Amino acid sequence: MSIELKLEHHSDDKVTVSVKGDIDMSSSKKARDTLTPLFQANNKAIIVDLSGVSCIDSSGIATLVEGLQWSHSSQNKFRLVSLTPGVKDVFEIARLLTVFEVFDTKEEALVN
Amino acid sequence: MAQPIKLSIPSHPKYLGLIRKVLQELLDYHEVPNETAMRLILCVDEACSNIIKHSYEGPCEEPIEATFYIDERDFKVQIRDYGKQCDSSEIMPRCLDQIKPGGLGTHFINEIMDDVSYCTERAKGTLLTMVKNLKGELTSVQEKNKE
Repeated sequence: MSIELKLEHHSDDKVTVSVKGDIDMSSSKKARDTLTPLFQANNKAIIVDLSGVSCIDSSGIATLVEGLQWSHSSQNKFRLVSLTPGVKDVFEIARLLTVFEVFDTKEEALVN
Repeated sequence: MAQPIKLSIPSHPKYLGLIRKVLQELLDYHEVPNETAMRLILCVDEACSNIIKHSYEGPCEEPIEATFYIDERDFKVQIRDYGKQCDSSEIMPRCLDQIKPGGLGTHFINEIMDDVSYCTERAKGTLLTMVKNLKGELTSVQEKNKE
Protein backbone atom coordinates (compact mmCIF):
# COMPACT_ATOMS: atom_id res chain seq x y z
CA MET A 1 0.00 0.00 0.00
CA SER A 2 1.42 3.39 -0.96
CA ILE A 3 1.27 6.54 1.08
CA GLU A 4 0.94 10.14 0.01
CA LEU A 5 3.04 12.83 1.63
CA LYS A 6 2.18 16.47 1.04
CA LEU A 7 4.58 19.23 2.04
CA GLU A 8 3.58 22.76 2.96
CA HIS A 9 6.37 25.25 3.59
CA HIS A 10 5.65 28.20 5.85
CA SER A 11 7.40 31.57 5.87
CA ASP A 12 9.08 31.11 9.27
CA ASP A 13 11.18 28.04 8.34
CA LYS A 14 8.47 25.67 9.46
CA VAL A 15 7.15 22.87 7.30
CA THR A 16 4.12 20.65 7.64
CA VAL A 17 4.08 17.12 6.22
CA SER A 18 0.60 15.63 5.79
CA VAL A 19 0.64 11.85 5.53
CA LYS A 20 -2.18 9.79 4.03
CA GLY A 21 -2.16 5.97 4.10
CA ASP A 22 -0.71 3.21 6.24
CA ILE A 23 2.90 3.60 7.40
CA ASP A 24 4.33 0.10 7.38
CA MET A 25 7.41 -1.72 6.14
CA SER A 26 6.42 -1.10 2.51
CA SER A 27 5.85 2.64 2.85
CA SER A 28 8.13 3.82 5.65
CA LYS A 29 11.05 4.26 3.21
CA LYS A 30 9.00 6.82 1.25
CA ALA A 31 8.23 8.65 4.50
CA ARG A 32 11.93 8.58 5.45
CA ASP A 33 12.97 9.79 1.98
CA THR A 34 10.61 12.75 2.38
CA LEU A 35 11.65 13.65 5.91
CA THR A 36 15.43 13.26 5.61
CA PRO A 37 15.96 16.26 3.25
CA LEU A 38 13.85 18.35 5.63
CA PHE A 39 16.22 17.46 8.47
CA GLN A 40 19.19 18.43 6.33
CA ALA A 41 17.53 21.73 5.30
CA ASN A 42 17.62 22.81 8.95
CA ASN A 43 13.96 23.74 9.24
CA LYS A 44 13.02 25.31 12.58
CA ALA A 45 10.04 23.00 12.93
CA ILE A 46 8.73 19.94 11.13
CA ILE A 47 5.09 19.20 11.86
CA VAL A 48 3.81 15.79 10.79
CA ASP A 49 0.06 15.59 10.34
CA LEU A 50 -1.04 12.00 10.91
CA SER A 51 -4.81 12.55 10.59
CA GLY A 52 -4.79 10.50 7.38
CA VAL A 53 -2.99 7.53 8.93
CA SER A 54 -5.08 4.78 10.49
CA CYS A 55 -2.31 2.19 10.77
CA ILE A 56 1.34 2.48 11.75
CA ASP A 57 3.79 -0.28 12.67
CA SER A 58 7.26 -0.39 14.20
CA SER A 59 8.95 0.66 10.94
CA GLY A 60 6.74 3.76 10.79
CA ILE A 61 7.44 4.53 14.42
CA ALA A 62 11.18 4.13 13.71
CA THR A 63 10.94 6.77 10.96
CA LEU A 64 9.30 9.23 13.34
CA VAL A 65 11.85 8.47 16.08
CA GLU A 66 14.52 9.57 13.60
CA GLY A 67 12.71 12.93 13.51
CA LEU A 68 12.77 13.05 17.28
CA GLN A 69 16.50 12.39 17.29
CA TRP A 70 17.01 15.15 14.70
CA SER A 71 15.02 17.47 16.94
CA HIS A 72 17.16 16.66 19.97
CA SER A 73 20.46 17.07 18.13
CA SER A 74 19.49 20.25 16.24
CA GLN A 75 17.37 21.92 18.94
CA ASN A 76 14.62 22.31 16.33
CA LYS A 77 11.04 21.11 16.72
CA PHE A 78 9.60 17.83 15.48
CA ARG A 79 5.90 17.66 16.25
CA LEU A 80 3.08 15.23 15.59
CA VAL A 81 -0.49 16.30 14.93
CA SER A 82 -3.95 14.67 14.90
CA LEU A 83 -3.12 11.10 15.89
CA THR A 84 -5.99 8.75 15.02
CA PRO A 85 -7.06 6.31 17.79
CA GLY A 86 -5.18 3.38 16.23
CA VAL A 87 -1.96 5.35 15.84
CA LYS A 88 -2.25 6.81 19.35
CA ASP A 89 -2.66 3.31 20.77
CA VAL A 90 0.54 2.12 19.05
CA PHE A 91 2.45 5.09 20.49
CA GLU A 92 1.05 4.26 23.93
CA ILE A 93 2.11 0.61 23.72
CA ALA A 94 5.58 1.78 22.62
CA ARG A 95 5.55 4.21 25.59
CA LEU A 96 6.36 7.06 23.23
CA LEU A 97 3.25 9.21 23.58
CA THR A 98 4.85 11.40 26.23
CA VAL A 99 8.21 11.48 24.46
CA PHE A 100 6.95 13.24 21.32
CA GLU A 101 5.34 16.67 21.22
CA VAL A 102 1.77 15.85 20.16
CA PHE A 103 -0.87 18.44 19.20
CA ASP A 104 -4.54 18.18 18.30
CA THR A 105 -4.35 20.51 15.29
CA LYS A 106 -1.77 21.81 12.82
CA GLU A 107 -2.60 25.37 13.85
CA GLU A 108 -1.69 24.67 17.49
CA ALA A 109 1.56 23.01 16.48
CA LEU A 110 2.51 25.96 14.26
CA VAL A 111 1.71 28.62 16.85
CA ASN A 112 3.43 27.17 19.91
CA MET B 1 -12.55 -23.94 17.41
CA ALA B 2 -14.20 -23.01 14.09
CA GLN B 3 -12.73 -23.88 10.72
CA PRO B 4 -9.45 -21.97 10.32
CA ILE B 5 -8.95 -19.27 7.71
CA LYS B 6 -5.72 -19.65 5.75
CA LEU B 7 -3.85 -17.05 3.75
CA SER B 8 -0.50 -17.32 2.02
CA ILE B 9 1.36 -14.22 0.87
CA PRO B 10 4.71 -13.74 -0.88
CA SER B 11 7.49 -12.28 1.27
CA HIS B 12 7.17 -8.78 -0.23
CA PRO B 13 6.29 -5.87 2.08
CA LYS B 14 3.58 -4.74 -0.35
CA TYR B 15 1.44 -7.71 0.72
CA LEU B 16 1.37 -6.65 4.39
CA GLY B 17 -1.62 -4.41 3.60
CA LEU B 18 -3.48 -7.40 2.16
CA ILE B 19 -2.99 -9.57 5.23
CA ARG B 20 -4.08 -6.66 7.46
CA LYS B 21 -7.26 -6.18 5.40
CA VAL B 22 -8.18 -9.88 5.44
CA LEU B 23 -7.65 -10.06 9.20
CA GLN B 24 -9.67 -6.87 9.75
CA GLU B 25 -12.59 -8.44 7.86
CA LEU B 26 -12.33 -11.64 9.88
CA LEU B 27 -12.23 -9.81 13.22
CA ASP B 28 -15.13 -7.54 12.18
CA TYR B 29 -17.14 -10.64 11.27
CA HIS B 30 -16.56 -11.99 14.79
CA GLU B 31 -17.39 -8.61 16.32
CA VAL B 32 -14.00 -8.20 17.95
CA PRO B 33 -13.87 -4.65 19.37
CA ASN B 34 -11.99 -2.26 17.11
CA GLU B 35 -9.19 -1.43 19.56
CA THR B 36 -8.45 -5.12 20.13
CA ALA B 37 -8.70 -5.84 16.40
CA MET B 38 -6.15 -3.13 15.59
CA ARG B 39 -3.76 -4.57 18.18
CA LEU B 40 -4.08 -8.11 16.81
CA ILE B 41 -3.54 -6.81 13.28
CA LEU B 42 -0.42 -4.96 14.47
CA CYS B 43 1.01 -8.21 15.89
CA VAL B 44 0.44 -10.13 12.66
CA ASP B 45 1.93 -7.25 10.63
CA GLU B 46 5.01 -7.17 12.89
CA ALA B 47 5.45 -10.95 12.75
CA CYS B 48 5.29 -10.96 8.94
CA SER B 49 7.66 -7.97 8.74
CA ASN B 50 10.14 -9.83 10.94
CA ILE B 51 9.94 -12.87 8.64
CA ILE B 52 10.60 -10.70 5.56
CA LYS B 53 13.51 -8.94 7.28
CA HIS B 54 15.16 -11.65 9.37
CA SER B 55 14.04 -15.01 8.01
CA TYR B 56 14.04 -14.49 4.24
CA GLU B 57 16.43 -11.50 4.32
CA GLY B 58 15.50 -10.07 0.94
CA PRO B 59 13.85 -12.47 -1.55
CA CYS B 60 10.27 -11.32 -2.17
CA GLU B 61 8.65 -14.48 -3.55
CA GLU B 62 9.04 -16.81 -0.58
CA PRO B 63 5.87 -18.03 1.17
CA ILE B 64 4.46 -16.67 4.40
CA GLU B 65 1.50 -18.81 5.47
CA ALA B 66 -0.90 -17.47 8.08
CA THR B 67 -3.65 -19.58 9.64
CA PHE B 68 -6.24 -17.79 11.78
CA TYR B 69 -8.42 -19.55 14.36
CA ILE B 70 -11.10 -17.64 16.21
CA ASP B 71 -13.95 -18.59 18.52
CA GLU B 72 -15.74 -16.99 21.46
CA ARG B 73 -12.76 -17.63 23.74
CA ASP B 74 -9.54 -17.15 21.78
CA PHE B 75 -7.89 -15.70 18.72
CA LYS B 76 -4.97 -17.81 17.57
CA VAL B 77 -2.71 -17.24 14.59
CA GLN B 78 0.04 -19.49 13.32
CA ILE B 79 2.54 -18.02 10.89
CA ARG B 80 4.83 -20.36 9.00
CA ASP B 81 7.91 -19.44 7.03
CA TYR B 82 10.58 -21.54 5.31
CA GLY B 83 13.54 -19.21 5.73
CA LYS B 84 16.40 -18.95 8.16
CA GLN B 85 15.50 -20.43 11.51
CA CYS B 86 15.56 -18.16 14.49
CA ASP B 87 16.95 -18.93 17.91
CA SER B 88 13.87 -18.27 20.02
CA SER B 89 16.00 -17.61 23.11
CA GLU B 90 17.44 -14.59 21.30
CA ILE B 91 14.06 -13.08 20.44
CA MET B 92 13.35 -10.59 23.16
CA PRO B 93 12.09 -7.01 23.28
CA ARG B 94 14.65 -4.28 23.75
CA CYS B 95 14.72 -1.88 26.68
CA LEU B 96 12.26 0.94 25.97
CA ASP B 97 14.20 3.44 28.09
CA GLN B 98 16.43 4.00 25.09
CA ILE B 99 14.64 6.17 22.54
CA LYS B 100 15.96 4.86 19.24
CA PRO B 101 14.56 3.65 15.92
CA GLY B 102 13.73 -0.03 15.49
CA GLY B 103 13.30 -3.10 17.64
CA LEU B 104 9.73 -2.44 18.75
CA GLY B 105 8.00 -5.27 16.86
CA THR B 106 8.79 -7.95 19.43
CA HIS B 107 7.73 -5.59 22.21
CA PHE B 108 4.33 -5.09 20.54
CA ILE B 109 3.82 -8.84 20.13
CA ASN B 110 4.80 -9.68 23.71
CA GLU B 111 2.78 -6.80 25.16
CA ILE B 112 -0.44 -7.55 23.26
CA MET B 113 -0.55 -11.34 22.97
CA ASP B 114 -1.17 -13.69 25.92
CA ASP B 115 0.96 -16.51 24.56
CA VAL B 116 3.78 -16.45 21.98
CA SER B 117 5.88 -19.42 20.90
CA TYR B 118 8.39 -20.11 18.14
CA CYS B 119 8.81 -23.68 16.94
CA THR B 120 11.85 -24.56 14.82
CA GLU B 121 11.56 -28.35 15.10
CA ARG B 122 11.28 -28.81 11.35
CA ALA B 123 13.63 -29.02 8.40
CA LYS B 124 13.22 -25.40 7.33
CA GLY B 125 11.83 -22.25 8.80
CA THR B 126 9.78 -21.41 11.85
CA LEU B 127 6.20 -21.77 13.05
CA LEU B 128 5.16 -18.82 15.17
CA THR B 129 2.02 -19.26 17.28
CA MET B 130 0.36 -16.28 18.95
CA VAL B 131 -2.76 -16.52 21.13
CA LYS B 132 -4.97 -13.78 22.56
CA ASN B 133 -7.74 -14.53 25.03
CA LEU B 134 -10.92 -12.78 23.83
CA LYS B 135 -13.38 -13.99 26.45
CA GLY B 136 -13.85 -10.70 28.29
CA GLU B 137 -13.81 -8.67 25.08
CA LEU B 138 -16.45 -10.60 23.17
CA THR B 139 -18.71 -11.01 26.23
CA SER B 140 -18.87 -7.25 26.69
CA VAL B 141 -19.81 -6.79 23.01
CA GLN B 142 -22.53 -9.45 23.27
CA GLU B 143 -23.96 -7.84 26.43
CA LYS B 144 -23.94 -4.45 24.73
CA ASN B 145 -25.82 -5.89 21.75
CA LYS B 146 -28.49 -7.34 24.08
CA GLU B 147 -29.20 -3.92 25.62
